[in-house]
Amino acid sequence: MFIALLKKQMKILFRSPSEVFTLFVMPIVLILILSYALGSIMGGDSEMTTIEMAIIHHGDEQEQFRNVINDLPPNLVLDQQAIDNIENSLPVSLLFEELTTDKEMQNLIHVTQLEGKSLAEVKENGDYDVVVEIPQNFTKEFLQAKFFNQEKPAFNVYLNESEQITSTIVKDLVDYFQLQYTLQSELSENNIQINNTALPSAQINSTIRTVDSLEEVTSSVYYTFSMAVMFMLFVAGTLAGQSFIEKNTHIFDRILLARIHLGTYLLSIIVSSVVFTLLQVLVLFSFSYFVFHISFARWELFLLLTIVFSLVIGAIAALLSSINYRSNSAGASNLFSTAIVAILAFFGGSYFNISSLSPFLAKVGMWTPNGAALDGYLTIAQNGSLSDLLPNITILSFLAVLFMLLAFLLFPKRGGIV
Amino acid sequence: MIEVVNLSKNFKKVTAVDQVNLYIEPGEIVGLLGPNGAGKSTTIAMLSTLISPTEGDVLLNQKSILKNPSDLRGVLGVVPQEIALYQDLTARENLQFFGSIQKMAKQVLNKRIDIVLEQIGLQNEPKKLVKHYSGGMKRRLNIGVAMLHEPKYLIMDEPTVGIDPQSRNHILKTVKTLNENSNMAIIYTSHYMEEVEFLCNRIYIMDKGRIIASGTKEEIKAVLSSENTVHVKLEYHSKGFVNDLLEQPMLSNINAKEGEITFTVAKGMDFLPMLLSLCEKNNVILKSFQVEEPTLEDVFLHLTGRALRN
Ligand SMILES: Nc1ncnc2c1ncn2[C@@H]1O[C@H](COP(=O)(O)OP(=O)(O)OP(=O)(O)O)[C@@H](O)[C@H]1O
Ligand SMILES: [Mg+2]
Repeated sequence: MFIALLKKQMKILFRSPSEVFTLFVMPIVLILILSYALGSIMGGDSEMTTIEMAIIHHGDEQEQFRNVINDLPPNLVLDQQAIDNIENSLPVSLLFEELTTDKEMQNLIHVTQLEGKSLAEVKENGDYDVVVEIPQNFTKEFLQAKFFNQEKPAFNVYLNESEQITSTIVKDLVDYFQLQYTLQSELSENNIQINNTALPSAQINSTIRTVDSLEEVTSSVYYTFSMAVMFMLFVAGTLAGQSFIEKNTHIFDRILLARIHLGTYLLSIIVSSVVFTLLQVLVLFSFSYFVFHISFARWELFLLLTIVFSLVIGAIAALLSSINYRSNSAGASNLFSTAIVAILAFFGGSYFNISSLSPFLAKVGMWTPNGAALDGYLTIAQNGSLSDLLPNITILSFLAVLFMLLAFLLFPKRGGIV
Repeated sequence: MIEVVNLSKNFKKVTAVDQVNLYIEPGEIVGLLGPNGAGKSTTIAMLSTLISPTEGDVLLNQKSILKNPSDLRGVLGVVPQEIALYQDLTARENLQFFGSIQKMAKQVLNKRIDIVLEQIGLQNEPKKLVKHYSGGMKRRLNIGVAMLHEPKYLIMDEPTVGIDPQSRNHILKTVKTLNENSNMAIIYTSHYMEEVEFLCNRIYIMDKGRIIASGTKEEIKAVLSSENTVHVKLEYHSKGFVNDLLEQPMLSNINAKEGEITFTVAKGMDFLPMLLSLCEKNNVILKSFQVEEPTLEDVFLHLTGRALRN
């Protein structure tokens, strides 16, 4: 009997061309358009506000430089010109210069040098979009690498993970800087005559990480998930609308007369929504898998998040049905499909990453079901772990339970008997 | 037995049903007759537990079902006045769905579906989506769904509106056979006199929310047993003639349309000389005249002063 309710619902949905179009075709078209149209912006080049960068330098570059020169073995003799050249291209100073003197750079990045502060402290207060940490003996190791072919030192770059677009830009910048730096070292090297010994150029290995050590996402990944969560919301409106048709055409009277419990009826709406959104997700994700080669290797996390989110969708469908039945109009589900989805999509970051506007909006976004789900999908896509996903799962479960409770409370108790 | 006792329903300012009493016993066919807005559908909705009454009670075997409607729902089949079907399913799929939620076993259900499709004459169209059906076909399926699970009491609210006369006869016969063979009790709501006269043993006549007459066909017609209805046809219409008729104290319920006039007159009253002299006076040629036994239509006219349908 419960199966009959589900079967009927699926048949009706799939026989409606407009619903199939809205729920399956539209999101695919939008994922395609947005991925290509907005790809470049996501990739790095947009009118961003200035990026706040902090450089924490734990050592004294000049001192390290003098120590290295003084401790050079006797067989390495450098003339004054070579020493000057090296002094002018010390890596940390050069990095700082590169970032602060260029006019274009200045528009983009504001650099603050911090001395004697711990990384944790700086990351904690969250004033900076990007933190570059240069280890204590970086210059020394850098020069030694140059002279003795030793292991190249690395500095660390930490990106604030809530700022996805910003992070992408910074990564590009740092990559660019690295390339420049390697070139410059090579050029200056040619002026250094060290007893005919050619020195290998030292490459700086910057390790790019966001603060939570997550990878960046591409626009196709972003829009696959943002469109998926947005169009899953439409399922709730659609199913609630169809359940109201059942009341309006007195089919619901027949269901009541068949002594179907109201709870069973609501449950069938919830389960139909879950089944339907799972199908929808399967289609959309398969599309992105084959077209954009998005990895779903960690399918168990995707599945978990999708199931929890589709339960929220089911709960919303049930709640909208209850309000429709109570108000004896399809107003609630219509309003949801025509306006509320758009508002939720905005705050949930489906159109663009809202957290880049303000941290407050980012917090609001996390409490929209689609925002929490989108954030969760992106977390998985960025190699987040199950524990990274917990806040999202918690919020979604809370919303699912809340909406279901409201739905059961608001549904007119004696069905047709008003 | 299902009974409704002093049943009333108010919708804000409108009193749709006003102190209605009626009952139906297993195996009988009861007619509920009345014009648009009489309160038939509202009465039926309360009787079938779909809306709660403002006042009064509904009893199944002497037990009120207002608090727990489940028992009554278990013995009912309802044909709503509206088409309560899934437009995007076929006839068979609709029957399958409504049968399944009635918890009918699969094999029984499939057999019943074939029988019902045959009874409602849709055995050749079960693969078509309901939205592509004609209005009459939808009506027939609307009926089929309600009798699928062979309920003890079948409540039909104007089930034959918009169905062509042939299908209608077929359905009426089917309903009668159902009643005779499986002892299904039927409440039949209509504003077609012929249907109610053909089907029903007992009849309730409703108007403006009230039952204005009830009883067997014969009992109701006995209301008019002291009167005859007379139909008069004239060669051409004459206003003066009608006006003269209206002044005759022995005639009542005078209805004149073009050259046709009907009126009622007490039995045994010798009205013929009067009629002929009025013809002569107004220079009217009498084509035919006919004295009739009363119909339910006449009863309704008598009770309310209005025709059942305009
Ligand atoms: N939900 C409602 N709200 C307000 N008024 C209603 C409602 N349902 C019925 N009515 C009113 O109650 C009266 C009786 O309506 P009802 O539908 O019972 O008549 P009916 O005898 O079935 O008429 P018909 O032959 O047209 O079906 C009408 O005046 C109608 O306007
Ligand atoms: Mg009616």
